[in-house]
Amino acid sequence: MRRILSVDDSTSIRQMVNFTLGKAGYEVVEAVDGKDGLDKAGAGKFDLIITDLNMPNMDGIQMMTAVRKLPGYTFTPILMLTTESQAEKKDAGRKAGATGWIVKPFNAEQLISVIQKLVK
Amino acid sequence: MSSATKIDVAGPLKKATGELQALAITTETEIGGVARAFEGLAGYADTIMLLAAAIVECVENESVRSVLPKVQALGAAARQFMEERLQATAGILETVTKEVNVLGELSRVTQGQAAIAIETKALSVLTNIEVAHLGDVGAGFQYLARELAGFSKSVTDDIQELARHTEVRRAAIEGTRRVLSDELPCLRESVARMEVDLANALATVESSLTQLSGAPAQFRSGVEDIARQIAGAVTAIQTHDITRQQIEHVQEGFALIAAEMCGDENSGAGADQALPRAYAGLTIQMYQLRAIKETVANWASQIRTCMGGILKVSASDMVGIGPMVLEQERNASSQLAQIERLERESQAYSERIQGTLGGLSSLMQLVGEHLQKSKSVRNRLQLLTFNSIIEASHLGTQAHVILAIAKSIKGVSADWGQITDQSGNAMQELMVLVKHANELMEAFSEAASEKLREAQAQTRTSLENLRTAAAFAARQAQEMKVATGKMQDKIAKVGSTGDLLDACFDRFDVVLTEVEEVRRQLEIDDPGVKQRYDPDEMEQLFSASYTTEMEREVLRAALRGKALPVAQTTLAGNSAELF
Repeated sequence: MRRILSVDDSTSIRQMVNFTLGKAGYEVVEAVDGKDGLDKAGAGKFDLIITDLNMPNMDGIQMMTAVRKLPGYTFTPILMLTTESQAEKKDAGRKAGATGWIVKPFNAEQLISVIQKLVK
Repeated sequence: MSSATKIDVAGPLKKATGELQALAITTETEIGGVARAFEGLAGYADTIMLLAAAIVECVENESVRSVLPKVQALGAAARQFMEERLQATAGILETVTKEVNVLGELSRVTQGQAAIAIETKALSVLTNIEVAHLGDVGAGFQYLARELAGFSKSVTDDIQELARHTEVRRAAIEGTRRVLSDELPCLRESVARMEVDLANALATVESSLTQLSGAPAQFRSGVEDIARQIAGAVTAIQTHDITRQQIEHVQEGFALIAAEMCGDENSGAGADQALPRAYAGLTIQMYQLRAIKETVANWASQIRTCMGGILKVSASDMVGIGPMVLEQERNASSQLAQIERLERESQAYSERIQGTLGGLSSLMQLVGEHLQKSKSVRNRLQLLTFNSIIEASHLGTQAHVILAIAKSIKGVSADWGQITDQSGNAMQELMVLVKHANELMEAFSEAASEKLREAQAQTRTSLENLRTAAAFAARQAQEMKVATGKMQDKIAKVGSTGDLLDACFDRFDVVLTEVEEVRRQLEIDDPGVKQRYDPDEMEQLFSASYTTEMEREVLRAALRGKALPVAQTTLAGNSAELF
């Protein structure tokens, strides 16, 4: 079963990501902020990471930059899931190593479709 | 600006912040409950759809789909079977009526033969008298007298036997005619009733199968509907989180305004600018709160609609598939039983008819034997006539009586020949009747029943499959009912959560009233306050923490005195953009 790390400080967002991807057959591990996400990414291997941008302790961009330096995460797809839609934010995300950008709220069907494309 | 004004602004804003904090905590708790309930609901919806999928698979099975053609074939076979029997019965009644005429003819034949037998006996007596009268000369004619006597006796015995059989046959035929005359209308009535019953049964089976055939499409539509409702709820629950962030941003806005009003050294504004900046800040927060309130109302409404939608799908006709399959099986089985009963009754009836018609063949056999004997008698009579005439001619005038007897025998022989021909005609007619009857009886044969029995066997197998499917569907339907019940309980819980959320949203109005009051106070203190702030500077100041485009749009509308941007009423969710 493919493993996905879901990083978000919002419980309900994590719940919905877990619910949506769980129904689609993925194993979802949750992290409550960037720091927690980085720890969990370092502790285990994930096929894809979905992360929020604005989070306490460590934001999504910082976490992504750190994760990319972890062994085995160079090519791991990382999707930003955020309320932000500004071009400069997206650009920052891309530079930090994001694979894609999803503006909250996500469409469940389209999220699954994108993940299926990225995780084969 | 007085210090009293500063305190008046800070106090209500602190209170409003507290209200918003409480609101955020409550909605967070409630939405957590909704999300959990939703997950449970989605789980039950999945269960229901899995059960429905199993039923649909079962309904789409070839053996179940073939039920209607099988029942239709059975109906056609039963109809043909009964119609053939009805026609055959009518034909047999006609045959039996004709046989009565033949029996009348036979009766006339036997009467004629009986008269000849008496005449022959008389000739035998006369011949004996003449033999005695002629003495030794007439000894040769004793043979003729014996032959005539023997012939008379044989014919009499034969005629009696034939007459007895004819009488028995007449009685049997009368019975058969009576039975056929009585049963034909009943049979016609049975066929007509069966026609109606079959038509009704076929219509029922066809109707329920049509309903069943719609089940897969209905199921697919149900699956899509549930998926749509689930997606809607997922989006709405996420949107709650966005509004939570936006509420936090309003709180931050209040804190900023309060800090400016309290002369915070870090605020970067001069004292004369504090009131206009606070006024602008309050206007922005009021716009934001109104926008948030609308969005919250929309996501709360979407959650309710989606939950209701899930429940509606679960309580749709999908749940009724099981009982529908069962009802169809019951209808079809009852029709099969009725057709089997009709077939059994018809079989018993055909056995009676076969018994009756069997007598016709026996009669034909007897008439045939009688005809053979008659022909033999005719030949012998002709020989006797010939011999007696020759013998009488030898004796000359002495044998004139014998010669007269011989001539009488010749006359009797001619009469006998004529009657024998009549017997032959009767025999021909009987042969035609027997042939026709045999043809008609084909309708009652095993071969004729075979087609119907084959259709019955196929329908029985088909119904057995349907019964299995129906039992399965019923079990699934029962489980569906349980899952639907649990869903309803969950929905009831979500409903109460929704009421709590509604109560929370009333707090928005309380906060708005409080902020509005502070803003009004500012206008009273400084009537020119709304014209003295720089919109661009205010945008930069208050939008720093914003994370959504909606917040930025609302802020711009607030600073430029425009109408509140319309909140999205349907939250469909956004797609992903891959780099």
